[in-house]
Amino acid sequence: MRPKLILTFVLLFVAGFFIASCDETTGDTVTIEFWHNYSASDGQIAVLEALIEDFEAENTGIEVEHVYMEWANLKNSVVLGAQTGVLPDVLRGDIAFVPQFQSLNALLAMDTFDDYDTVRQTVLAQPNSSNLMDGTYYGIAANTNTKILFYNETLLEAAEVDVPTTLDEVWLAAEALTEGDVIGMVEPWTGIWNVGPYIWSEGGEVLSPDNSTATGYINSATNVAVIQKLADIYAAGALAGPSMDPGAVGDTDGWAAGTYALQLDGPWRGASNNAAAITYGATPLPAGSAGSVSVLGGENFMMFEASSDPKQEAAWEFVKFMVSKDAQVEMAKVGQMPVNLEALEDPEAIEAMPLLPVFAEALLTARARPVIPEWSEVENIIAAKVALAITGEKTVQTALDEAAAEIDALLAD
Amino acid sequence: MMASRGRQHKVIDPRIWVIFLPGFLFVVLFTFYPMGKMLVMSFFDWNIGYNQTSPYVGLDNYVRVLTDPIARTAMTNTFAYAFVTVPLQMVLGLCVALLIHGISRLSVFYRVGYYLPVITSWVVVALLFRYIFSNAGLLNYVLTDILSITEDHIGWLSSRWSALSAAMLLGIWKGIGWNMVIFLAALQAVPKTLYEAADMDGANRRQRFFHITLPGIRGTVMFVSVMLMIGAFNTFTPITVLTNGNPAHQTEVVLTWMYFKTFDALDMGYSAALSMIITAIIVLFTVLIFYVLRRKGEGA
Repeated sequence: MRPKLILTFVLLFVAGFFIASCDETTGDTVTIEFWHNYSASDGQIAVLEALIEDFEAENTGIEVEHVYMEWANLKNSVVLGAQTGVLPDVLRGDIAFVPQFQSLNALLAMDTFDDYDTVRQTVLAQPNSSNLMDGTYYGIAANTNTKILFYNETLLEAAEVDVPTTLDEVWLAAEALTEGDVIGMVEPWTGIWNVGPYIWSEGGEVLSPDNSTATGYINSATNVAVIQKLADIYAAGALAGPSMDPGAVGDTDGWAAGTYALQLDGPWRGASNNAAAITYGATPLPAGSAGSVSVLGGENFMMFEASSDPKQEAAWEFVKFMVSKDAQVEMAKVGQMPVNLEALEDPEAIEAMPLLPVFAEALLTARARPVIPEWSEVENIIAAKVALAITGEKTVQTALDEAAAEIDALLAD
Repeated sequence: MMASRGRQHKVIDPRIWVIFLPGFLFVVLFTFYPMGKMLVMSFFDWNIGYNQTSPYVGLDNYVRVLTDPIARTAMTNTFAYAFVTVPLQMVLGLCVALLIHGISRLSVFYRVGYYLPVITSWVVVALLFRYIFSNAGLLNYVLTDILSITEDHIGWLSSRWSALSAAMLLGIWKGIGWNMVIFLAALQAVPKTLYEAADMDGANRRQRFFHITLPGIRGTVMFVSVMLMIGAFNTFTPITVLTNGNPAHQTEVVLTWMYFKTFDALDMGYSAALSMIITAIIVLFTVLIFYVLRRKGEGA
């Protein structure tokens, strides 16, 4: 009985060892793992699967296994993977992930590939700048977006309010539109993703040019005036959002119900408004005293140090395929704004995304948020303090002074 | 005969190790090792990632937690949540158990009814509560449009204490069923002869409850209060769904704040120190509850 038991365990152990040691790169086929958060509901995953098939047909010997993860899960999985070594070969994730993952020493410097510069020339420079840290590119832009001003045409007509053409007119319109159940404007969060465009458009800054300090920048007189304006319209009931007031209706629900009239938002707002049959229009952010400066969003492709050389080579081929014109046009058809310069002018892409020209105009002056590893925490500090200022819990000057002091302490560490 | 049987017990069949070891190693690997590792991490400025150095910082992480105003807010909110939800869940759970214990018809129906909230998903019921308490929610609709008690919508989730009250209400509503089941089992174990003796002595209902029932279920009360206290300190989903810690971290509880510091700020040392502090608090409360209830028991 006992020898049989021992034999069983030995056999199980040996079998397990063999299964575990089977390398995916054995033979002629290299299998790469691709983590992403393309949306299934918008048909993006179906397009991705078709693209992978095309890629595999063109590149015999490379197989791509894609894994969908929701935004936060994608980020947390890489954070944990940096410790355990369980990482993908390619990742397509938020541009804000680049500095954070780079600080984990997990990312591969993508510009070590000989033809990186050639590929870089084919994509929009501004979105791709979100990959640049200390003179090294740690990724390449996958798709981009920025925020433009969406307005509910029905509500504007009913209130006889014209589409605003300056930032000051935006605030006036928000108040004029607020009546009964209608709330002029919605901002779901109070980070730089949300208030940055207003600050930049009035000439304010978040950090010093070398990203070393916040004092004198985030708490400047310009920024105080901008946040005060938001606080004023919040007090008038013309601005709402769950991070300022957890009881507020979420932006998508609010648009669908005809509650919100104005929102500075990305391409997804067009898609959700179409789904809710809302009659809407959109314009680049109306200019403040320093012009119209929106915020840059989007996703980048990243690769990892932990992958073996053959997998890195295969992954780079896949990344190049995904930023090529054809793949980018296909993705544009399901709502992903291209970064490929040729794809941006492609008639098929423009037909699929009627707002593409509006976004393209906004992209010309859009700014990326500072590319520093501490950015996530910096933005969270700002979000909390700006929420306190807008809701009147603290004076704007006090809240922004506190934010500056906390950010400086963080950056000094 | 007895002696030889005793000696036989000392010889351990090696097959027992085969059965025992996997489970034991599992617990060591996934429970004790992480706990030990976390204690170590709490003394370091722990950096995750490849080839990262983590400098030893002594008690710095603990000092940072204890001097952090948001951690204090989160701690206060958690204590408030625990002190409100634990006693109320127990009292209401016990009341329901006593009522159901006293009836013979439809007992199963009531048991299932009260237990339903326990088995429903936290996320689902938290979302339902959000729809009830939000500005354009059911409660405001009833108050303004149907009953006309107020003209303007009340921001139930908009400020710290009212939002926490909604979370507490959810915690209590969801917890009553579990308390009921445990207390119902305990009530059935109280010897009926004691009640018969009390009847003969002419004890009224109140006397029967305080002198027989309550001392009879003292062990259960102790168990339930410890479990609920641990549960209250582990509350996460209701806050995440109802307010996500907003506005400006004012409705944060220790676990939501810890999650934020771990995964948003990647401040592992801080989060480990916060975990150790919470562990210490829970241990302290457990000891305190045992001490107080045991002394009461001895006094009775």
